[in-house]
Amino acid sequence: MTGRSEAEVRLALRDWVRTHATVEVPETFDDHTSLIPTRYLTSLQIADLLLYVEELRGKSLDVASLRPGVFRDIDTVYATFLADGE
Amino acid sequence: MGRSDTMAETADRLCASSRRAYQNPYEVIDWPDVVERPAWFTSPELISLYATPAWDALGDDERRELSFWEAVNFYSLNLHGEQALMEGLARRLHQPGLEEVTDYLHHFLDEENKHSIWFGTFCRRYAGRVYPDRTLSFAGEPAFARDHLPGEDDVLFFARVAIFEELVDRYNSAMGRDERLVPVARQINARHHAEETRHLVFGRHVVEHLWARHRPGWSDETVEGVRVHLAGYLVSTWRAYYNPDAYRDAGLLEPHALARQTWEHPATAEHRRNVSGKALGWLADLGVFDVGAVELGARR
Repeated sequence: MTGRSEAEVRLALRDWVRTHATVEVPETFDDHTSLIPTRYLTSLQIADLLLYVEELRGKSLDVASLRPGVFRDIDTVYATFLADGE
Repeated sequence: MGRSDTMAETADRLCASSRRAYQNPYEVIDWPDVVERPAWFTSPELISLYATPAWDALGDDERRELSFWEAVNFYSLNLHGEQALMEGLARRLHQPGLEEVTDYLHHFLDEENKHSIWFGTFCRRYAGRVYPDRTLSFAGEPAFARDHLPGEDDVLFFARVAIFEELVDRYNSAMGRDERLVPVARQINARHHAEETRHLVFGRHVVEHLWARHRPGWSDETVEGVRVHLAGYLVSTWRAYYNPDAYRDAGLLEPHALARQTWEHPATAEHRRNVSGKALGWLADLGVFDVGAVELGARR
C-alpha cells in the first residue's frame, strides 16, 4: 500500500464514494453502509472504484478472481483488498 | 417486433451484403511470426496520453513502444465488448418479436466471432496476454439486478452495442488508413472497419425501431433510467481506453495515477467529447439520450 494508515485509507475510500455517488450521501454514511442497494454507486462506478482501490494498493488486482459481494461496503473493500498489505 | 418494412428491408439488405463479403478469418490478415518494436501500432493522435504532459515527456521510441501496448489494450477491450455482444446476440437469435432480424443476427454473430479471432490472435501472439476487463466483471453482481419493463432490456442492449461499436469504429477507420502503422495493425483495423460498417447501419436502425416501439409505453422515470444507464455506459466504455496495465507494460511509472491524471486532463476530455459527438449524435436526434450532456471530463 502507498504508506497510508488504515484510518487514512478508509477516509480516502469514504471521500471517494461521497464524490462519486449518484445520490446524496447522508451524514450517517460509514464503513458499514451498503454501497449498492442504496444506489450510492452503480455497477459502472464500481469499475471506477476498482481502479481507485488498485491505485491505493499500488498494484493491479486479479480481476478474474473477484467475487460478488466484495464491494458491499467500505469495510469489506478494505478487508478484501487493502488490509495487511494486501 | 411488429412488421416494419424499413427494419426488415434493412436486415435483408445487410444479409445480402454479409453473404457477398463472407470470408475466411484465417486468410484475410497476414500474420508475421514476430513484430518488430518499437514501431507504430496505434496512431499517435489516438494514443490515450496524446496532448498531455506525459506524452510530451516521452521520446519517440517510448511513444512507439506505448503504441504497441495501447494496441493490445484496444484489441483487448474489443474482445471484451464483443464477448458481451455475442452473448447478447446468441440469447436473442430466436427471441419472439425479433423474427425479422433473426437471419441478420446470425451474420452479426458470425462476424463478431471472426473479429474476436483477429484481436485475440494479435494479443496472444505478440503480447502473450489479453488485458482483463474491469467493467463487465460486475455485470453479474446480484445486487445490480432489477426487473426491466417490456422492451427495456433490448433497447439497452442494442444501444450499448451501438455506443461501443460507433466509438471503436472511429479508431478503426482512422488507423485502417494510417500508413505509419505496421501492416498487421493496419490490416486488423481496416478489416474490422469494413465489416463494422454493416453493424453500425443495423445498430442505428434497430435502436431507432425499438425505441419508437417501446418508448411510448414507458414512464418518464423509466426513460430517465435508460438515459442514466447509457450515459454511465458511455463513460465506462471510455475509461477502458486509459488502462494502467498498458502503461505499466510500456514501462511508465505510477500507472494508476497516470491513468487518473490522463483521464482528468482537459485535452483527453476534449478528445472524448469530439469523438462521442461525431459518433453518437444520432442518439440525441432519436431522443434516446444527449451525448453532449454527458460529463466526459474537464473542459479547457
